[in-house]
Amino acid sequence: MRRRNTPALGRALGLAAIVCLVATLVVLGALPRGLAQSKTLYVGITLPLTGADAEDAELIKDGALLAIEQQNAKGGVAGYKIEPIILDNGTATAGQYDPAQAATNIRKLVANVGVVANIGPQMSGSGKAMSPILSEADLATITPSSTNPDITDPKFASQYRPNGKAVYFRTVTTDAYQGPNMANFMAEKLRVKSVYVLDDSGAYGVGMADAFQKRAGVKGMKVLGRDQLNPKEADYTTVLTKIKGLNPDAIYYGGVAQAGVKLAKQAYDVVPKLIKAGGDGVQGASFLKAGFPAVDGWYSTIAGPHVTEDPKAQAIVQAFKKRWGKNPDDYSITAYDAALVIMDAIKRVAASGKPVDRHSVRDAIQTTHLMTVQGLISFDENGDIKNRVVSVFQYRHNKEFPDDDILHQIKYIGIAPQD
Amino acid sequence: MTFHDILLQQVINGLSLGAMYSLLALGFTMVYGIIELINFAHFNVFMVGSFIAMFVLEGIGLRGQARVLTGVPLVNALVLAFGITMLVSGLIGVAIERTALRPMRHVKGTAAMITTIGISYILFNVILLTVGAQAQNYPNPLPAGTWHLGGAVLRLREVLLWVVSLALMAALHVFVRRTKMGKAMRATAQDQEAARMMGVEVDQVVMLTFFIGSALAGAAGLIFGLYYNYTSFLIGYQAGLRAFTAAVLGGIGNIVGAMLGGLVIGLIESVGGQLLAVRWTDVIIFSILIAVLVFRPAGLLGLSTPQRS
Repeated sequence: MRRRNTPALGRALGLAAIVCLVATLVVLGALPRGLAQSKTLYVGITLPLTGADAEDAELIKDGALLAIEQQNAKGGVAGYKIEPIILDNGTATAGQYDPAQAATNIRKLVANVGVVANIGPQMSGSGKAMSPILSEADLATITPSSTNPDITDPKFASQYRPNGKAVYFRTVTTDAYQGPNMANFMAEKLRVKSVYVLDDSGAYGVGMADAFQKRAGVKGMKVLGRDQLNPKEADYTTVLTKIKGLNPDAIYYGGVAQAGVKLAKQAYDVVPKLIKAGGDGVQGASFLKAGFPAVDGWYSTIAGPHVTEDPKAQAIVQAFKKRWGKNPDDYSITAYDAALVIMDAIKRVAASGKPVDRHSVRDAIQTTHLMTVQGLISFDENGDIKNRVVSVFQYRHNKEFPDDDILHQIKYIGIAPQD
Repeated sequence: MTFHDILLQQVINGLSLGAMYSLLALGFTMVYGIIELINFAHFNVFMVGSFIAMFVLEGIGLRGQARVLTGVPLVNALVLAFGITMLVSGLIGVAIERTALRPMRHVKGTAAMITTIGISYILFNVILLTVGAQAQNYPNPLPAGTWHLGGAVLRLREVLLWVVSLALMAALHVFVRRTKMGKAMRATAQDQEAARMMGVEVDQVVMLTFFIGSALAGAAGLIFGLYYNYTSFLIGYQAGLRAFTAAVLGGIGNIVGAMLGGLVIGLIESVGGQLLAVRWTDVIIFSILIAVLVFRPAGLLGLSTPQRS
């Protein structure tokens, strides 16, 4: 009985599902275009809100949203209300950021003429997938945290910005400084003589590890080996045992939290005494929360100045705490700045009398000259920030604060030596 | 550390990995032996098992690795965690069999296998949507006991992993060989129709097979968590694929073959990673798998159903 009924029922259900899907798509597609006629401008926020880096992505999103909300509360920008469109760059199958999803999201935003700029991505792997699409559409994005230098490097312009104009702006510097400056720090301050280099096979991780390795050689550190971790793999004891046998002074890991947490946990058992360091991929809430206590002692960097403890930034930090009930990290502030840059550009376009659209906003972002808590923000012709500071941190457990309190469990060490 | 110490350490690592793969491979091979179905839901029953155990351990007040237990409280905690995890995982396996697979048992072709893939995704997404995507800091009450064998280090958690895995595999072996229900399983594997005619309750046997296989997967999930101090909704895929490979390598349908296959894959992974580079792990494993299957298409121990185990 049941078996005979199933095909008819299935067909009816299937039809119903298709009708629903089409209806939803039509409504979603039509809605933003209709609203764009009013005095509302849309800003995309594309971050991996699902997956291993979700907590850091949330902190970035919250920073950007805070700046937009504060401005809207003051009556918006030149009469425009700013409406964020938040899209998730992470997927369950990837378990972390997913470049294909990032590309899909940015196409969605491009299709909506009301979108004048985007904030994101968090991860360079997503940035590489997004940048050509942004270039074709002449839509600017400002990344508060993705640091792979290739995306903005004029050498790869035909690949990442075929239309020529810069569309990928950053409120952080790149791994062309982050990796090498950390190599400087490890050679000069920690007196590291030999190192084993690992990456997580992602665009960011490989780039970081390459840049670090190159400078490590220049600084006279001996690179005893280089290997690649599969972030979906659970077991890294094999490579750690191998490293133990080589007995280097330090391990440098280029990559993000998905492989990083497991690496930290297993390194804690297998090679507890080695110095361990990474970049901004191991800086933050995701790494700390899942990795405690194994992350204790790890060095990390961020591709910008450390501002959350700076007196100048306290108004923002307090507002953030009040709005979201948690402490911001430095990339919350660079995201806050990214939103400020976009709103400043809109204001200047509106003041000049030109129509406010993605083209005029992109041009205005290019000529940004804005003072924020991290200092003066202005971009070179490729979209990179002119201020090139890399800050070094170390995870040091502080019993007086909760184990996952990023503001107090990660100690600021100082600015990494420049060349 | 000398090269020999490193190699010994890699063998220890490999045996630990292998024991975990073996436990997981048993579930694949048992189900295949009885109803010739590759059960991809098994991947994520393992993953769900590690979460069930995590909830049990957190339920008795453990957070992260901060609190260490010893003596009787430790044994109690472990027995409780293994008991509940294996029971619940086993029941999940039974539920999957009863609701989704039994109605398909007489459907020819790949429908049942595709169904198991679907169930696997359901389990995966249930955990993702309820617990979240972040990596979990696993509650672990094990003290950090270590023994030094020359330059190599043997940790308490490795010993525990081996002991529990061996005990479970031995228990399974005895069950299949020596009990009446085991005999019914072997009969069903040999010839379902004939077994039915001899009065074997085939439906019960299949259900029991799913219960045991899934309970072992749950145990493997708990062992995984204690071994790595980590779990996430993602762990099923990679470990499951390796375990499935182990089952094929050993000869799918063959219980002893699955144990052997798991150990071989674990050792290839660690020793291969030492001698070459870890980024080549999958290439090495699957090259060896193909080489074995070219010369022994039925796997190392041959395609035998549990009657020869």
